[in-house]
Amino acid sequence: MKSNPKVGEFHSKEHFLKTEIMAPAGDWASLKAAIQGGADSVYFGIEQLNMRARASNNFTLADLPKIADVAREESIRTYLTLNTVLYDHDLPLMKKIIDAVKEHGITAIIAADQAAISYAARNGVEVHISTQANISNIEMVAFYSHFADVMVLARELSLGQMKKIVEGVKERDIRGPSGNLVQIEVFAHGALCMAVSGKCYLSLHTYNSSANRGACKQNCRHAYRVTNEEGEELLIDNEYIMSPKDLCTIDFLDQLLDTGIEVLKLEGRGRSPEYVKTVTRCYKEAAQAVADGTYTREKVDAWKKELEEVYNRGFWDGYYLGRKLGEWSRIHGSAATKEKRFIGKVLHYYPKAKVAHVRIKAGGFNRSDSLIIIGNKTGVAEPEIDSIWVGDRPADVVAKGEECTIRLDCVVNEGDKVYLWEDRD
Amino acid sequence: MKITFYRDRCIGCNYCVEAWPERWQMSKRDGKCVLIGGKKKGKLYHAEAGEFEREYNERAAQACPVDAIRINK
Repeated sequence: MKSNPKVGEFHSKEHFLKTEIMAPAGDWASLKAAIQGGADSVYFGIEQLNMRARASNNFTLADLPKIADVAREESIRTYLTLNTVLYDHDLPLMKKIIDAVKEHGITAIIAADQAAISYAARNGVEVHISTQANISNIEMVAFYSHFADVMVLARELSLGQMKKIVEGVKERDIRGPSGNLVQIEVFAHGALCMAVSGKCYLSLHTYNSSANRGACKQNCRHAYRVTNEEGEELLIDNEYIMSPKDLCTIDFLDQLLDTGIEVLKLEGRGRSPEYVKTVTRCYKEAAQAVADGTYTREKVDAWKKELEEVYNRGFWDGYYLGRKLGEWSRIHGSAATKEKRFIGKVLHYYPKAKVAHVRIKAGGFNRSDSLIIIGNKTGVAEPEIDSIWVGDRPADVVAKGEECTIRLDCVVNEGDKVYLWEDRD
Repeated sequence: MKITFYRDRCIGCNYCVEAWPERWQMSKRDGKCVLIGGKKKGKLYHAEAGEFEREYNERAAQACPVDAIRINK
């Protein structure tokens, strides 16, 4: 059996930071982007037994060896989400997945259903308890400690409640199967549910599509008008009455880490690679700054600006600071300040010359434009353009239909997609 | 009547089996549904069924959260 670094084992120099930054990896490009952002660990789903079952780009069982290889090379830990409600007919697949996790040395599974938790624990596979289990008190931690070493808390707790749980683990010496004290994890960034996580049946009732089988249709993200049977409409100032803003903790990360939590989870397996890279990097830098005592308001403002550039529904501090639910998004989709626009594809990359041969298929670009290049091997490259050539002539502008060669300061790969990275209107 | 099943989309929710177990069955191998009597063509499965089954299969198609079942009109 191969093995990846276990919780608490830090192999490389960069891993001296005590707080673990756990990033989402919905596909190969996001996995690479998470590594580029400095993630200590990644979580991902395979097949249909994960909370993004609808996603067409889910990894499969056959991808596990390669994921484990990449993780070993990069000294990051890998967590496989296996956290849907399970029915009897799912049990063989669940067992097959856990057996494969053990065989290929994936670090742990993230689970909520007792069938998966007990099968993994029985077979010596590390278990992390999913947010779907809504851990909200110290007795739940004690209960799950028979099976699991890491537990994510419910997203509906306050900082005070988190701190009490972390202190309770130490005071009561609650240890997981590894013999170490149970590690407490919380969500630091990303989408929030309008319901208590894992207890929403809106999608199931309206579309027969169960959120708890990973098939949430996100009804809460739409605009609604409230009308009574007489046709009178209740005037409300915001029609997005069920769509919470995204959680963002970067401006009180010092307080969050002061609770003693050890793992920061970033939400977004359904989000794009550039989101994964930016969010991971910001939180890694911020956690490091808190550890070094260099966490300042100026830095927070800069990180927040960067976080606003990528997908978000507007930010709030969730329930962590004791606020009541009421921070509703005012938009459908994203409030990101930047967006990517597809312009072309990398036909070939010449590594010695650091030159990419690109076909421009849409729009066009100027030399002064910002580009990002995304691909499975590349992750998210943000190149500084040294020079552009169209045919054998240097150029400042490239139009649709043209092929050009671009000298870059980073490595890209054949087949990568090239985007303009521009301000949103 | 003709039934077409996009098996890749299946998330194993079991609703089609509840609707019409004579035609739909869960696979113990991979936890996804099997169209009984279906023939594979590319990524799709096709089956011919008697008209008496229409109502039940339409119910299965309607219940499917990932739109994996199509019934010809």
